[in-house]
Amino acid sequence: MWQVNDKGEREFTGGKQDWNAAVKAAEECSCFREDDEDELVADENISCYNCRYRRWTAKTFICCK
Amino acid sequence: MKILLSIDDTDAMKVEGVEVRGTGELAGMIKQTVEERGWGVCEPITRHQLLIHPDIPYTSHNSSMCFMAEIDADRLDELIAYSSDFLVRESAPEADPGLCVAVIDRLSHPGWLISFGYMAKNYVLTKQEAYDLAETMGIHLSEHGGTGQGIIGALAGAGLRLSGNDGRFKGKIKIKSETGIVTAGLIRATGKVDLVKSLEEGIILEDSDELILGDTVKALLLDGKAVLPVYSIGKDDSGRPRWQTYSKSQMKDF
Repeated sequence: MWQVNDKGEREFTGGKQDWNAAVKAAEECSCFREDDEDELVADENISCYNCRYRRWTAKTFICCK
Repeated sequence: MKILLSIDDTDAMKVEGVEVRGTGELAGMIKQTVEERGWGVCEPITRHQLLIHPDIPYTSHNSSMCFMAEIDADRLDELIAYSSDFLVRESAPEADPGLCVAVIDRLSHPGWLISFGYMAKNYVLTKQEAYDLAETMGIHLSEHGGTGQGIIGALAGAGLRLSGNDGRFKGKIKIKSETGIVTAGLIRATGKVDLVKSLEEGIILEDSDELILGDTVKALLLDGKAVLPVYSIGKDDSGRPRWQTYSKSQMKDF
């Protein structure tokens, strides 16, 4: 689900469309915090895709926690 | 006079011990001040997605926030001064905030500003390019901390709002319904939606048409209008199409 990229950041391997994996990762994470309503993209509220600590990249996102 | 006020890059991922407000919330606070002080009447805020690229510094999603307002011409300088001070005061310490205020009637070539907005969705642009265009067009553009990189997104946000065909409106539209089914007319009566439309089929719903409300009811800026997008979920017993509002995942590409 995660890999370390060449900058040493924790990168989600599921890209931007692996909705189930993003939910599972968020449910297992104690740091999840919902982002502003205008930035929510996943229909499931608890999802890394909706977390304020995710930073979108061209193909996926970085977890900043 | 009619203006566009756009801001970008005001937040930070983490600031220990400090409550960080998002760019949308700050835009909302400026908008509220404009109205409370009687400087003018504002239209709703729109969010505009810009390019995600390794060479572009951004906090988490690289989007800018913009609103249009009809203001008293005598208040323009005051509004710019207030907004500038506000961004210095309220932006996160690590942020690179930028402010753009464009007087629409003074834009001799509005297409140039719109083009800049679309360029910022597809290419890496520089601060110098933003300043050059702003100077040529007589647009106020200023940076208020950090690298000031937010001026690029601020200028782009103004252009995209001016295009009338980009982004989604900030906030959810609140509609009371016990059944979760409402008419398009009821939604339009909130004053926050001009049209209810199936984008796939190009069908504009009649006021009497019913639709199912999803958990997020948000409008898009399309053809200069606030459009609530819906999609078909089959037909009812009488053969009429059934509609439902877009989900968050369906809205994410706008």
